[in-house]
Amino acid sequence: MRGRALAACLLVLWLAGAGSARSEALVAALSSDRVRIESNFTGTEIVVFGEIVRDFATVARADPYDIAVIVTGPEQDVTTRRKQRFLGLWVNRDAETFIGVPGFYAAHVTRPVGDLAQRNTLERFQIGLHNISLRVLEDSPVPISERFDFRNAFLRLLIRNGLYSERAGSVEFLSDSLFRTTIPIPSNVPVGAYKVRTYLLRGGALLASQENDLTIAKTGFEQLTYTAAYKYSAIYGAVAVFLALFTGWLAGVIFRRD
Amino acid sequence: MQIYLPIAELPVNMFTVFGMGGAVGFLSGLFGIGGGFLLTPLLIFSGIPPAVSVATVTTQIVASSASGVLAYWRRKAIDFKLAGLLLAAGIVGSGIGVWLFDILRKLGQLDLVISLSYVTFLGTIGVLMLMESMRAIARRRSGANAPVRLPGRHNWVHGLPLKMRFRQSRLYVSVIPIIFLGSTIGFLGTVLGIGGGFMMVPALIYILRVPTNIVIGTSLLQILVTMAAASFLHAVSTQSVDIVLALILMVGGVIGAQFGARTGQKLRGDQLRLLLALLVLAVGVRFAVGLLIMPEELYSYSVISGLMR
Repeated sequence: MRGRALAACLLVLWLAGAGSARSEALVAALSSDRVRIESNFTGTEIVVFGEIVRDFATVARADPYDIAVIVTGPEQDVTTRRKQRFLGLWVNRDAETFIGVPGFYAAHVTRPVGDLAQRNTLERFQIGLHNISLRVLEDSPVPISERFDFRNAFLRLLIRNGLYSERAGSVEFLSDSLFRTTIPIPSNVPVGAYKVRTYLLRGGALLASQENDLTIAKTGFEQLTYTAAYKYSAIYGAVAVFLALFTGWLAGVIFRRD
Repeated sequence: MQIYLPIAELPVNMFTVFGMGGAVGFLSGLFGIGGGFLLTPLLIFSGIPPAVSVATVTTQIVASSASGVLAYWRRKAIDFKLAGLLLAAGIVGSGIGVWLFDILRKLGQLDLVISLSYVTFLGTIGVLMLMESMRAIARRRSGANAPVRLPGRHNWVHGLPLKMRFRQSRLYVSVIPIIFLGSTIGFLGTVLGIGGGFMMVPALIYILRVPTNIVIGTSLLQILVTMAAASFLHAVSTQSVDIVLALILMVGGVIGAQFGARTGQKLRGDQLRLLLALLVLAVGVRFAVGLLIMPEELYSYSVISGLMR
């Protein structure tokens, strides 16, 4: 009997222990899971809001909760080139190609990224601009000593274009458990399938995470034109030429002077 | 009003682009040029990707030359045989241009080649035109009569073999310079996004000795067909013709050209040529500055995959 009671007690303790380790859950949602690019598109905003769900067994700890919302766009291969002086002219010489980098990246975090967790955790989940994995071609012609320059230049250019961003303190807590952040989507955003990943951290440890899908797509006339240009290039080209001939002819008729 | 360009993938202010088309159209009406060499750089400097700028301007030139061709056709001032030969060669040149364009874009050297070519061609032609127009103005000031320009009917070009007769132009010349001229201008036009009228017209007058009343109509027809081919080939091989951008530019261009043509009638020919020379030189210098002065940002990037979505 005593042995059985002890086993039962251990089981309860173990369950409680397991429960407390998993006591925080995360629920996050997007204001819209689809961004439509139309002729008047000049950028938009996506609101990510969520709740930290705690059960009664959650142990109160001194460390505050941290939230990181990471939006990543479709993967692309991007070549970064550097100009050098050649025969007195500034021309593109060295180039580094980054493989499978996100076409869009936004990190919204409660505190500066470096304070959230250890470097390896941040790198694993690609939290923060400097933790994005920027793989290069194996036969990259750029010497190791200059890789860093290309990496920094790439990040700098994309930040300037508004495609990459990191905003500390941009996640707003509405209550102890409700949070919200507004992610600006610029007008030059690439179209495709996006991922919105929300991470809940505390004291450097990842407690929970959630992934939401976001689609950015051209619609209506923009989609039609784009598809036509790429899939039916010959027809598109012929239409463009015909349109030009027609406009020219029409102008000739309207403004005929002789 | 902002409008999103589906191929360039960025929004532009519709009135700004319309204004650019109109301003270049005005100048093209004023000087009797296509204006591609002004419009393409203007688009590039305003942030439209060079590939899209070049390809789209070729479409715009089709529209701006079409009304001119119709007018000259009515006046029967086109040598169809000469134009046919020029444009057949032009289409071949244009095909080579599109092929090279694609390779250069992949190598990341397209911008360099565009800049270098603009500096070379605009610089050369600008200086030649400037000297010619200043001499003409000086002659007029000094009161001397302009020499009646009747250059010898024959120069070295007329000694080449494979001669062909062109009745309307009253010419009997070798087809070699014609094919060379047509293909070179077709090639340059495709790579640089220019019609090439400002190179074609002097070449036809001074090298082939085509009568001036025939030159413009013939050159316009050659430009129309070559640029139609170029814009079709750009659409098929590089997918960089932005039909929305082209349409705004066309409408602005044809309207501007009407006002330009009216203003042009009030100015003297040599003054017009002087102004045009200065304009051509200014564009050339602007490109030269970009090549010679250390850029603020040495790095640039281009997406090489994931374009097809």
